[in-house]
Amino acid sequence: MNTVAKQYWALTGFAMAMMAAGLIWAAFEARQFQETLVWIKPFKFALSFVVLFATLAWVTARLSAAAQSARALKWTVAIMAAAFWFEMIYIAAQAAQGLGSHYNLGDWYHQIMYGLMGLGAVSLVVGTALVGWVALRDTDARLGSDLRFGVGVGFILSCVLTLITAGALSSMAGHFVGTPPAGAAVIPLFGWSAAVGDLRPAHFLALHAMQAIPLLAWIVQGRSMARGWIIGGAAAYTALTMALFVQALMGLPMVRL
Amino acid sequence: MSAEDLFGLASAAVLPGWLILMLAPRGKWRWLDRIPALVIPFGLSALYTGLILAHFSAAGGGFGSIAQVRALFASDWGLLAGWVHYLAFDLMIGALMATQMDRVGLARISQAPLLALIFLFGPLGVFLIWAAQGALRMMGKGDAA
Repeated sequence: MNTVAKQYWALTGFAMAMMAAGLIWAAFEARQFQETLVWIKPFKFALSFVVLFATLAWVTARLSAAAQSARALKWTVAIMAAAFWFEMIYIAAQAAQGLGSHYNLGDWYHQIMYGLMGLGAVSLVVGTALVGWVALRDTDARLGSDLRFGVGVGFILSCVLTLITAGALSSMAGHFVGTPPAGAAVIPLFGWSAAVGDLRPAHFLALHAMQAIPLLAWIVQGRSMARGWIIGGAAAYTALTMALFVQALMGLPMVRL
Repeated sequence: MSAEDLFGLASAAVLPGWLILMLAPRGKWRWLDRIPALVIPFGLSALYTGLILAHFSAAGGGFGSIAQVRALFASDWGLLAGWVHYLAFDLMIGALMATQMDRVGLARISQAPLLALIFLFGPLGVFLIWAAQGALRMMGKGDAA
């Protein structure tokens, strides 16, 4: 196994270990932050990192030897690793103190850390786009040409959509548009508001374009119109993400429960 | 020397060890590898030996219940012995884990935060390393960490 894919697998393993730590934490924890148990947020972020790094490991393991040994890719995985450790340790450390991480502008320390989290998040999505770009151009990759196309489009689209949705998120004072009344309905499992606008569903779709579009490509690969399906699917996915985004900005919940 | 002085001294003594583990090249100079793995833990183990022999017999002290352990740690000297125990063993384990992580080729950028976690919360860092190894082995990616 090449070192880049190996590092991505290692990061997948550490994110899984953090999920396990979150579940054990849950057994001893009673404190809540904004009506949610404090261990939930680090757990959700760890899960998200598992999905991100497993996808990147799967793709990079299939790149040609030349693409794998490119210096740009080695730097990408190193910077993403640094961002991962920083984000997870800060989010978990804040949660363990019953404090917020995102949107915590309480004093200069938390302002700097929130800014660094933004930098880390941008590194993660730009790194993903870079891997997508390398895959797109790597004609010797052990991926069919349609699948390779889907990976490239999905990874780059994921980056662009996330920069838009998460950019809007970070320019606001919180992820809600409106103020949900105490005890208001949330979407089961995800915890997104079912009462007021919530930008997280659009952010979620944006992040997971990097799995959805390659999955579509895998399904349609080899068909005569495969590229057309992939481009059409990417356009539809973008439209859906933007619809959820605009809906949330208008203060409307994804579904009212 | 007072308990407070020794506390400061022992706490300062481990810092070079952790800095070497996190930042310095490994497997290049044997003497450098031995500072965190052997030299500092050995010194602290010697200090602990003296402290525990002199202070273990604190009134009501023992390992049988929380109350007995609290009695051991009731005096500054007993507490100091316990702290030196942490310092020595966390660094020793950190050095051991660093060797293991080198063996599987884990990048230093990921090793450093794990070592920092072992420095601060010993078993928490060890848990993450072992849980990650276990998860990767189950997925057939055991050579990644």
